[in-house]
Amino acid sequence: MGKEELQSKLTAIFQKTFNDESLELSDELTANDVENWDSLSHMILIAEVENSFSIKFKLKDLNKMRNVGDMLNIIESKL
Amino acid sequence: MFNQNVLNPILESIDSFSNRNAFVINEESHSYLELSKHISKIRTEIQNTKFTGKNIGLVANDDIETYASIIAIWLEGFAYVPIHPKHPVKRGNEIIEQAKINIIIDSSESSIYPETQTIQSRFLKFEQYNLKLKEIDESELAYILFTSGSTGKPKGVQITRLNVGAFMEAFWVIGFDISESDRCLQCFDLTFDVSVQSYLTPLCKGACAYTIPHDQIKYNYASVILEEEKITFAAMAPSMVRFYRPYFDEIDLPYMRYNILTAEASPLDLVEEWSSCVPNAEIFDLYGPTEATIYCTYNRYEREKPNKQLNGMLSIGKPFNGIDIVIKDEENNLLEKNIKGELCVAGNQVTVGYWENESKNKEAFIQLNINGLERIFYRTGDACYIDDDGDLMLSGRLDYQVKIQGYRIELGEIEHHAREFLNGHNAVALAFSNQLGTTELALFIEGELLDQDSLVNYLKSKMPHYMVPLKYYVETEFPLNANGKVDRNKLHTKL
Repeated sequence: MGKEELQSKLTAIFQKTFNDESLELSDELTANDVENWDSLSHMILIAEVENSFSIKFKLKDLNKMRNVGDMLNIIESKL
Repeated sequence: MFNQNVLNPILESIDSFSNRNAFVINEESHSYLELSKHISKIRTEIQNTKFTGKNIGLVANDDIETYASIIAIWLEGFAYVPIHPKHPVKRGNEIIEQAKINIIIDSSESSIYPETQTIQSRFLKFEQYNLKLKEIDESELAYILFTSGSTGKPKGVQITRLNVGAFMEAFWVIGFDISESDRCLQCFDLTFDVSVQSYLTPLCKGACAYTIPHDQIKYNYASVILEEEKITFAAMAPSMVRFYRPYFDEIDLPYMRYNILTAEASPLDLVEEWSSCVPNAEIFDLYGPTEATIYCTYNRYEREKPNKQLNGMLSIGKPFNGIDIVIKDEENNLLEKNIKGELCVAGNQVTVGYWENESKNKEAFIQLNINGLERIFYRTGDACYIDDDGDLMLSGRLDYQVKIQGYRIELGEIEHHAREFLNGHNAVALAFSNQLGTTELALFIEGELLDQDSLVNYLKSKMPHYMVPLKYYVETEFPLNANGKVDRNKLHTKL
């Protein structure tokens, strides 16, 4: 999967989870920039990402995710 | 009681452990000496400021000035009313108006509520110590917490100095042996009362509190702190533990001595699995409504022994010292053991009532005759029974309140705001358990929904984000039950 395809797939997951079709992803995007991004929606987001990409994160992976760029890199490393 | 059980111990910690850390906030340490300087400068500023009333608004930031403000406010005999910086400004203004707040302490760069007189605590300079205890009447308020109210207006729970003093006394009786070498987690928003226990436990013993920055994903940040800072005491919501469940094999916290689970019912199977992640900890389930000051019953989890449960949820155990409990039916008859009814509590921890809200007070409090004595009880709205050993078994809510991430939410408040936006079209909010086993909110709308984004934005402007539903459904007509009311159960099956 190319970086572009990965990003568009992830964008769709974000838009669905946060109920916001206008949400655009950038590498620097953090939980602070998205209103509903809290522990609960993060959990839902992570589960969606794991299911869509058929991957499994470790807790250490999650703790390393400071922004969307980190998340993309970690997903890529698991594919 | 408040001076003896709260302020005196904190001042002793400042005296005896001035070089030890009181807080670690966002990886920065703050000693008790530093804390005492912040308290002094803020207290002096409060003394030098003219304002009316006794309630001080406190912008609930995650920094040393905000925690110091609480102690400064208490030393002066006033009450703090936390206002969350991330909640809608409209809601904050409603709280300011309701509580007749005339002064706010705000540690932010620029004041969030510029229309109200504000002490900007971060710009104050320390000049001299100002830590002397005053004699203040026990009936004065220590804090007011505003919680969700079904009429769309938040309601204020007033907690007195007596309430907090009685809580701390009863809390230590359970047997938490905390000293200056302990490291305690404070992972709750200041708008939520478990935060009070989470900062008072360390401060009263000279120990250190570790907080969670607001811009972090709480559960992730907490998991790093728990491990790296070797946390020894932590109160957590079961939803946090549930978040960690897929990763239990990665988690090993041998330093944890006491682990409190609170704010929601604790599933026994979850606690059993979690217990191996905290192999040396005593685990407690603590229960209590905000109205009875933080916790009022406790149950110690027994490792490798059967634990009492109802519908898979751990028993909430026995009442705190000084708390009286009864179970009553709808006609206010007291019920025998093993019969389910509404749990009612009385004692020094129980609030004197909601802030200027007579109608709510009439609903929530009841005078009962116990052994010939008339006493005022708070009706928790929780369905319980007491078993033969005197242990309380909790079976759920009697009304439409639900808990999301530990926050108590009135579904009626969500519906109220939704209906307002929909020009009176009916809306029903439902809580449901998603695939991950956590509680989520859905909103059903009758008729049509032209613009979901506008509705969502409207709800976001009125309520904290955790109250805004993530899922939306439109029904041409709502199903009705035999009484002609909307059949919530039927709607539930559509989820």
